[in-house]
Amino acid sequence: MGAILRALEGKRVAVVVGSGGVGKTSVSAAIALSRAMEGGNALVCTIDPARRLATALGLGTLGNAETPVPEEAFARSGLAPRGRLHAMMLDVKRTWDDLVTRHAPDAATRERILGNRIYRQVSGALAGSQEYMAMEKLYELSTERDYDLIVLDTPPTAHALDFLEAPDRILDFVGNETARKLFAPAIDAGRLGARLLQAGTGFVAKTLSRFTGSDVLNDVGEFLGQFQGMYDGFKERAAAVRTLLTRPEVGFVLVASPGPLSVDEALFFHDHLRTAGMPVAGSVANRVIPDLWLPGGALPGADALAAALAAALAAALDTARSGPPADGPTPAPTADLASRLALTLGQHQAFARADAREVERLRRGCPGPHAAIPLLDGDVHDLSGLAAIARHL
Amino acid sequence: MSGSLLLDRRLVVVTGKGGVGKSTVAAALALLAARRGKRVLVAEVDARERIAPMLGGRPSGPVVRQAVPGISTVNVDPRHALEEYALLVVKVRAIYQAVFENRVVRFFLRAVPSLAETLMLGKILHEARAEDRGRPRWDLVVVDAPATGHAVQLLGVPAALLDTVPAGPMRRDAEWMQALLTSPERTAVALVSLPEEMPVTETAELDARLGGELRLPRGPVFLNAMPDARFRGDERDRLRELSGTAPPLGPAARAAVLQSDRRERCVAQADRLVALLGRPALPLPLVSADRWGRRALERIADAMDGSV
Repeated sequence: MGAILRALEGKRVAVVVGSGGVGKTSVSAAIALSRAMEGGNALVCTIDPARRLATALGLGTLGNAETPVPEEAFARSGLAPRGRLHAMMLDVKRTWDDLVTRHAPDAATRERILGNRIYRQVSGALAGSQEYMAMEKLYELSTERDYDLIVLDTPPTAHALDFLEAPDRILDFVGNETARKLFAPAIDAGRLGARLLQAGTGFVAKTLSRFTGSDVLNDVGEFLGQFQGMYDGFKERAAAVRTLLTRPEVGFVLVASPGPLSVDEALFFHDHLRTAGMPVAGSVANRVIPDLWLPGGALPGADALAAALAAALAAALDTARSGPPADGPTPAPTADLASRLALTLGQHQAFARADAREVERLRRGCPGPHAAIPLLDGDVHDLSGLAAIARHL
Repeated sequence: MSGSLLLDRRLVVVTGKGGVGKSTVAAALALLAARRGKRVLVAEVDARERIAPMLGGRPSGPVVRQAVPGISTVNVDPRHALEEYALLVVKVRAIYQAVFENRVVRFFLRAVPSLAETLMLGKILHEARAEDRGRPRWDLVVVDAPATGHAVQLLGVPAALLDTVPAGPMRRDAEWMQALLTSPERTAVALVSLPEEMPVTETAELDARLGGELRLPRGPVFLNAMPDARFRGDERDRLRELSGTAPPLGPAARAAVLQSDRRERCVAQADRLVALLGRPALPLPLVSADRWGRRALERIADAMDGSV
């Protein structure tokens, strides 16, 4: 067991963060898989719209339901888990609807909100909505289920901090005190525009309605009004999520690919988590190109490789002469093979050295447990691929 | 694509899965268009600015600025887009300040769903249709759009507004935005993918969503970082046997086997992508733009020339 998995021993929640395209989903699933292999009951929750995890786990759809990974999938990969592995894909809209249902004071309010077109926008298309609902779902799962480990694969945010700030940002939308006071009477009267005019802000309202149309003003007002009774419940829950994330049973795992932008993002997130008092379990550099030139120093040129090829060929011919007769002549290396080899080794090492520099930067910037996963032969799209990742964690 | 070249459109939106090289492709397309004498704007969407530095210019920030001759860049962010748009509507800065910098109004505007996306998209599309003295301001606007999910959100904004917003100025804007976005003569969405399992799957799904629910005109799919065919099958077999031997030959043979195996897997994924899309994908050579900058972009632009 590597440093990352050791750091997660005894944790009940692992939150996997990093910029898009670094392999968060695979790392998340590998962490959950390894807990299941050791006898735990593990769940990996992904939010990804492209169902990458579903592909990786050989499942059709995940749709907000915790689905056990079928035994056949393990058998196909030659794995015999002592525990259980579950997977789910977050359905953002469903999670919003569940949340509204949970907090609505009565059925009529619930139906009005679920039917409000502003609500449909907020719950569906609003930026940050995915991030907020990921947190919400994590809280629900961690308080209402008895998994030994829940691994949350976070959405591929352009900005890592969206994930932490989204709940507050969205709750500000629906719960601003000043706006509620300003809009409340109009909401009751169903005439928000008129209220703004009465408030002596006539030209503000006029300009705004030129900007958005007065019906939009009214829609938003209505939505805010309907949310009035529920806001406190939402706010409390968001605060509880935040508290959960600072508890020692939670561990954040930072994942980066060995590129400058991805490492920058991970370091930025690391500092922010530390400031916010959220426990960092470790950092992972994913898909690192291995250093093949272990002798170090200058790389061989085409001449040196041509000589080595000739020597290898001669040795092979010797073997052939002393052994049974060969079926045909050993093909002679073409003259340019040595230069193609030199070119290929040179390019490989240029990538490997650049990767090593970035891995080192990540390690220094995120002190603590660290893992580097080499670029594996082949894509990770099944359980044996995930197990291969887990071996490096 | 309906016959005409990608770069002859007015608006080219570049998107794809995170980390596949969208910015690189967007910058290379701009470079190629500029070589053809076009006046190009590249718009990044609320991003850590990369295009101008990649081209060898200075970051532009939220105001359009020439990065290199023929190519201007802008990094569209919601705050500046709001200010610009509001000034277009109200004309007078004093009124803008009195209204839009009012604290309650600021809150209110944040509560208008998708306003940030609308404004950013609106600003970009506005540039794409703007004319100065009867002449289009830009021959080509390239959008370095966010990754899959966020791109669908951004590009779906006009349609969502048309669904939800009643008559008014926002709806009128949504109408012209949607008309421009869905015009196959003026617009194309180009996708970027990698020849790997998951990016290929995601690209095919994204392509179907763009053409399906969003009804956007689809342009080419670029298959980034395609390794070249460098070793013959018999050479690879021989090198595999040698890859355990002592340096210098062992490590060189190992690098060659890795390259060659990778090439084989990439070809298989490229074939899968073409089968899923039902149309060809354009392979781009494996170069690292992060490390090599302008020179790498020129190589990618060379590889695109003739197909776009």
